[in-house]
Amino acid sequence: MIEFSSLNKWFGALHVLSDISLSVAKGEVVVVCGPSGSGKSTLIRCVNGLEPFQKGKLIVDGTELGGSEASLRDLRMEVGFVFQQFNLYPHKTALENVTLAPVHVRKLSKAAAEERGRALLEKVGLADKMENYPHQLSGGQQQRVAIARSLAMQPKIMLFDEPTSALDPEMINEVLDVMVSLANEGMTMMVVTHEMGFARKVADRVMFMDRGAIVEIAAPETFFTTPKNDRTRDFLSKVLQH
Amino acid sequence: MFWMQLDRVMGYWPVLLKGISMTVSLSILSLMIGVMLGFAFGMIRAGRNRMLAQIVGLYVDFFRGTPFLLQVFIVFFILPEIGIELSAFASGVVALSNVAACFIGEIVASGIKAVPLGQSEAAASSGFTRVQQMRHIVLPQAVRIVTPALVGQFVLLIKDSSVVSAIGLLDLTRSGWVIVQSVPNGLLVFGIIGFSYFVICYPLIYLSRRMERRGQATIL
Repeated sequence: MIEFSSLNKWFGALHVLSDISLSVAKGEVVVVCGPSGSGKSTLIRCVNGLEPFQKGKLIVDGTELGGSEASLRDLRMEVGFVFQQFNLYPHKTALENVTLAPVHVRKLSKAAAEERGRALLEKVGLADKMENYPHQLSGGQQQRVAIARSLAMQPKIMLFDEPTSALDPEMINEVLDVMVSLANEGMTMMVVTHEMGFARKVADRVMFMDRGAIVEIAAPETFFTTPKNDRTRDFLSKVLQH
Repeated sequence: MFWMQLDRVMGYWPVLLKGISMTVSLSILSLMIGVMLGFAFGMIRAGRNRMLAQIVGLYVDFFRGTPFLLQVFIVFFILPEIGIELSAFASGVVALSNVAACFIGEIVASGIKAVPLGQSEAAASSGFTRVQQMRHIVLPQAVRIVTPALVGQFVLLIKDSSVVSAIGLLDLTRSGWVIVQSVPNGLLVFGIIGFSYFVICYPLIYLSRRMERRGQATIL
């Protein structure tokens, strides 16, 4: 479904992604962790073309990245992206946030889009917040709207870029719960997060990145109990002690 | 003496009215053209095409950096030399809407740049085209940010329209010149003219202040 082959990216002289090769199968959930600045966000931003790269190849759902604007747009319709800062449209209600792309990009009728939108907002537990504007919602509620907004396009792949990092601790679980149920439904997911409980519960593989490279990737069982690399061990001891 | 003069000025109400209607129609027409052109300028200025942005930037800076009276003269006296002959009214509209577009363009560009990048990233991630991102996501937010500044600019435009009296248009200012020739009390006549401008502009000033107070959180 997602196929990186020797992908490289530089910001000027800084080598932010070095020789990334990785293959994510359909229905697989891959959790990406690593210290800040390790390139994990940049990596998943490459998957839907938010970041260009200079060398190597990336094929997502049969489309090679780096092609025409039109093919990138077609691809983005199939790939949902959830941001750390939610990025909800502040001038639209929760329901409008969710229906905007289906109406204008998928060309769904307004009625059909609203029906889908209501169902999704119900699914993420926000049936009573449909007419609220983002600034009237808590962080956790906003992030759930953002997830519903991505799902409204009925994507084949969902990408999460630190979806709970900007949330107050008591709101993290409501967002993780939605992501867990999504994973259980068989969605292909790449998730950048430090929520190791989530990784343990739903990840098929956990990946550790440092300085732009994949250091270690393994099934969660192996990854957490017998990490091979020193840097992985060091990182895990820091994030797991609480 | 004062009351007699006031009475005589009031006798000139048809001239005054004509001036007011000229000023208002000139302003409204220039405002509409200036807004449309200004939004185009603004989108180019904030857009990705560096080259185009710089060309428009140069054009805008030129008109923001030269006296408006001079621009009116160029349109009215110089353009005919190269075969573009415009009536005084058309010249006024061209010069006014052009200068309005230049100022409005910079305001709109600053508004577009003030919308967080995450907004267009979110929209792009859902498959919106550039044009759709601009239309549905970025511009509505940009407009909300700059509305108070825009309305302030509209007030300036109305006041700047007085300059076109220099090419013979009977606007509010010129109607003052006409009246003062038979009622030799400049303070009185231009006091009335000034008050008339204020009456036209004040609703806009009031509107702008109210919008500023309500802030950006409110949804229009």
